[in-house]
Amino acid sequence: MVELLYGNRAANTLGAAAPALDLAARDEVVLKQVEIHYCLFELPMASALPRLPTSLHPSIPAILGITVWRCVDGPLGAFSLAYLGLACRTGIKPRHFIHGAFCDSPQVGTWLSARYGLHCQTARIHNLETYDRIHSRVDLNGRTILDLVTHGPQQLVGRGATVKYSPILNAATLGTDSALVQMETSFEFHRVSRGQPMASVYNGAALGDATLAPHYPVSGTFSLADVSLHPARFKLDLAVPAEQGGARKI
Amino acid sequence: MQFGLIYELSTPRPFTRETQKAVYDNAIEQVVLAEQLGFSSVWCVEHHFLEEYSHSSCPEMFLTAVARATSKIRVGFGIATCVPTFHHPIRWAEKAAFLDILSGGRVEFGTGRSSTWNELGGFDAIVDDTKKTWDEYIRVIPQMWMNERFGYHGQYHKMPERNVLPKPWQEPHPPMWVAVTATGTELDAADRGMGALILSISDVERNVPRIAAYRERIKHCNPVGAFVNDQIAIANWLYCHPDNTLAKQRGEEMVGTFGYMAGQTVEVSEAYPASNYTALGLLGSLRADPNAPGDQKPLSSGLCFGDPSTVHDTCKRWEAAGADQLVFMIQAREHLAQADVLDSLRLFGREVLPHFNNVPRARAVGE
Repeated sequence: MVELLYGNRAANTLGAAAPALDLAARDEVVLKQVEIHYCLFELPMASALPRLPTSLHPSIPAILGITVWRCVDGPLGAFSLAYLGLACRTGIKPRHFIHGAFCDSPQVGTWLSARYGLHCQTARIHNLETYDRIHSRVDLNGRTILDLVTHGPQQLVGRGATVKYSPILNAATLGTDSALVQMETSFEFHRVSRGQPMASVYNGAALGDATLAPHYPVSGTFSLADVSLHPARFKLDLAVPAEQGGARKI
Repeated sequence: MQFGLIYELSTPRPFTRETQKAVYDNAIEQVVLAEQLGFSSVWCVEHHFLEEYSHSSCPEMFLTAVARATSKIRVGFGIATCVPTFHHPIRWAEKAAFLDILSGGRVEFGTGRSSTWNELGGFDAIVDDTKKTWDEYIRVIPQMWMNERFGYHGQYHKMPERNVLPKPWQEPHPPMWVAVTATGTELDAADRGMGALILSISDVERNVPRIAAYRERIKHCNPVGAFVNDQIAIANWLYCHPDNTLAKQRGEEMVGTFGYMAGQTVEVSEAYPASNYTALGLLGSLRADPNAPGDQKPLSSGLCFGDPSTVHDTCKRWEAAGADQLVFMIQAREHLAQADVLDSLRLFGREVLPHFNNVPRARAVGE
């Protein structure tokens, strides 16, 4: 028997509190000029594997992704959003499995939960681009739980002025079943810069998983992009590996 | 057209020393047989930290072992990574020349720059500079081979005049190649008068325009070495079996295994946005649609899985497309039994290979 590298988290630790998906919601939403701060850090594989369900492979090395959006206007109104996830694979496809999310608009949080199973706590979120850094902060119940800075951002030009955001996966309830659901997004970039990320405050427990923390910086990026939110398209069985048919269309 | 083998030296978990040794020993046994059957080259990748996918961190050692167990088959770096934190260019000039002597002049010097965060991050490389460092390496290494003494001030390295030793057996030096994954790199190879080792595994038809563009572009090249190496080698898969259905099934299993292993690596484009890594690397050719769900992508029609007749016809299509060599991956993480791999090689060597002229493209020395 060949030994394969999958996550080893029990499925029943994910489905119980998963948000119910509104399968009737099929409209497209386009958000203009969204500011996105996206930081990647490596972390020990030993801390990542127990947090991924068996339907997901880890990435090697294990990577923690932190994403902060600031949307100043649009069909959902002004809002900021922050979410954290582990890089993973469904078959050969890169994804991030989300373990914590925050939104400063309860209405948008409810919308994201129903559309994609992205369960958001209400929090104050700060996202600011200055000449020498990108700064994001999440305050929950008056306490700063995340303080994230990308230092020395340099503008990327030409064909390189894009970021390949890995689609995110959330545990959700579809009828009576629990599954992983992908948040379907596409991006049209206006500009992108890249620098060195640093998390000066990282409260793992408050951010959704006390066992995960950034260890080694990979990259920090800031982009200004139009973001299209598409209807959810597929679900992934929590326990069946993707290459064995665990991924199905909704 | 000629045929070769290319090795990632993928290794199943758990990573015991016995398993590791078996992977290396099996590969050498395969190459020895392949030489007897008429295969013309063996290539070995350089990868670091790529668990399961490739335990081939020292290709020069594998190729040296192969060279000493064979007498005719050419031994190719597929590739030598031209990134300062990995290797100094002097070390590559020395290692390749050393192997060229030990092998009696059989080295093919493939070059590249890595495309994973695993490796570039692991070596703390400056990701933005890899294409520029590669361009510097490929220009100074031939000079180290051809000049009794050589010194230079480059952008990334400098050295006072020294005699880099030994000099290679082949005169003026071994053929030089570039690994090609992203579309457009074949033109970089052509501009520099280097062979294109095309590693993006895909349909024959998708490669026809790339091959044509390479052939046209290299007519006007400015070679980095003493001669133009205008060869195109294309990486492919091989499993040949009398039962066509079984051969395809096993082939699909190997490709699936490869995808599982490769998929876990972190490509630079996923982790570290950079202007010199805008295209997906090897995985891009495996992923039909990065936004698609878990749908299985149909296998490329250019893969050599099937009975001898099927494999023969596929090879003929590659030949008609303009490929000079097909270099085969014949194993993935020891998924197949060694006896099955050897039988596949024997069948190919007996019933397919004799239908091809199996001679190299003439080299235009001094162009």
